[in-house]
Amino acid sequence: MTPDLVDLTTQILNGIVLGLLYAIIALGFMLILGTMEVINFAHGVLFALGGYFALALQPHVGWWGALVLAPLGVGLVGFVLERGVRRTYGKDPLFGLLFTFGAALALEEVIRIVWSPRGYTIAAPAFVAGRFEWGFLVYSRYRILVAVLAVVLLFLVWWFLERTPYGAIMKAGAHDSEMVRALGIDLGRLRSLVFSLGTVLAGVAGVIAAPMWSLKPTIGAEAVMPAFIVVVIGGIGSFWGAVVGGLLLGTVSGLSNLLVPRGSILVMYLLMALVLLWRPRGLMGQKSVLEL
Amino acid sequence: MLGLFALFLLLPALLPRLGYTYLGTEVMIWAIFALGYNLLLGYTGLPAFGHGAFFGIGGYLLGMTQKWVTGGLALPLAAAAVGTLLCGAAVGLFVARRRGIYFSLLTIAFGVMFWFMVFVFDAWTGGEDGLTGINRLALLGYPLRDNVPFYYFVYAWFVGATVALWRIVNSPFGQVIRAIRQSESRARAVGYDTARYKWAVFALSGGFAGLAGGLYALARFGAFPEPMSLAQSGNVVLMCLIGGGFASFYGPVLGVVVFLVLRDVLSTLTDHWLLAYGLLFMGVILFMPEGILGVLRRLRQPAGFHDTAAAHAARGDEAATVPAPPGGERGA
Repeated sequence: MTPDLVDLTTQILNGIVLGLLYAIIALGFMLILGTMEVINFAHGVLFALGGYFALALQPHVGWWGALVLAPLGVGLVGFVLERGVRRTYGKDPLFGLLFTFGAALALEEVIRIVWSPRGYTIAAPAFVAGRFEWGFLVYSRYRILVAVLAVVLLFLVWWFLERTPYGAIMKAGAHDSEMVRALGIDLGRLRSLVFSLGTVLAGVAGVIAAPMWSLKPTIGAEAVMPAFIVVVIGGIGSFWGAVVGGLLLGTVSGLSNLLVPRGSILVMYLLMALVLLWRPRGLMGQKSVLEL
Repeated sequence: MLGLFALFLLLPALLPRLGYTYLGTEVMIWAIFALGYNLLLGYTGLPAFGHGAFFGIGGYLLGMTQKWVTGGLALPLAAAAVGTLLCGAAVGLFVARRRGIYFSLLTIAFGVMFWFMVFVFDAWTGGEDGLTGINRLALLGYPLRDNVPFYYFVYAWFVGATVALWRIVNSPFGQVIRAIRQSESRARAVGYDTARYKWAVFALSGGFAGLAGGLYALARFGAFPEPMSLAQSGNVVLMCLIGGGFASFYGPVLGVVVFLVLRDVLSTLTDHWLLAYGLLFMGVILFMPEGILGVLRRLRQPAGFHDTAAAHAARGDEAATVPAPPGGERGA
């Protein structure tokens, strides 16, 4: 095999793994955006918190324990945050955005105070340490685990949204909250649940991403931007849009790492601009209430 | 307006005693930026986020023009303003048909794109280190290197920009953008091509941001990436909100003063001023979303007269030529 082809396959695989991760971050972000019409700026810092919580918990409860507990901790933070955010519902969309923006700054500073500004490298759990070899292909075993976990999570989210009454209520709440309230459903509790759930997803992504990227206070800001782009590319309110958008963005940025290593981050924005020119609402976006 | 100009005219006599020689200049620069931004936020109701990018672009355009194209002072400043206006016009093509939260999302994404461009094209921009060696030169024999002549140089631009913005806001064009803020569908139904107006406002406010950014680069003898970061883009939004950009034309100026003084005080008090800043942000949104001038206006109005959603009711009474819709349509 030529080394070029090996590079190419590796980058595509990297892109897919990254794309699945982006899709999870973007889905949590989109749940909050779609149901509450709030751009959750704190989503990135909650993602980072997931990683830091796991860092603190792993020595005590092990990797799997942290995978469950850290996101729950993040969800709790999200739950508290929502108590403030809820005062902006129904007002100018800018207010929710700015509130979470302030929260993001404050939480990032809290991370700096608690864990210091330095970076941490986190070891992959022992059972997936090392590499996986198959023919010419040598690939990190941890990344394979990440991909599997991500697919399982995506399936769970899909199942929750499409096959349970809660998912139906949430979608209905995003579409016509007044009607949902009239049917006797506690909208406040629903929104609180959705917000927490969205932040839990950010937390999970943070936990599984931490061994791939080194953990530093600004990691949140770096993770939230691709999620924004995924939402714009995929279209707001579409589960499959987020998945397709995530995979597309991941693969494109993987490939551009190979072709234009310095400009690969700009390629993501170029992709966004191209998609917007072609389909202004994103690949699978439909005209939504958010545009009013 | 004359009172404001007179105040800033006399400030250099007072400021040195307070130890804020340079701060006055910075206040006027940010005021140009914030007043221009408020064209979008307060007057058209477009929640753009990521406007710091245009401020930064202005600085880089000024620096690059001065270093490699013409030198001098006038042309680089013109390049900063006009070039940024064109950047705004280009981004405007993508965002002008959107509104509300989708508009915010797109402006964030484009803002961050420009931020990354600074690092990708670091051969031109200097990347992390910034584009240094920008020269203030001299004007009419006064070397602008000194802070007091430079203060008056910026003062002239501040007066010019404020008058221009005042004229824009009170022109027929200004009436139309206020109508868009109250109800875009109604403005469109009346026959205005609202997307084109929004595009024009976006470009214009980009131009003012570019001018301010150019002046800022002169003030700091260099163009640096950090005003373009998303965290800094929040500053201008907070400035407009604190002062009461929804309530008054001068809201942003007051906001800039409060913000910069507060930042100065906070950063001497604590190392973790970002924490305080974040909490301040949250507090303003929760307790005072209509800003200082908004609160004052509410207190002055007789009880029972004001709308609970003071933020968008505050300027409703001024837009006289366009029939006001009954009740705000942006809430709910």
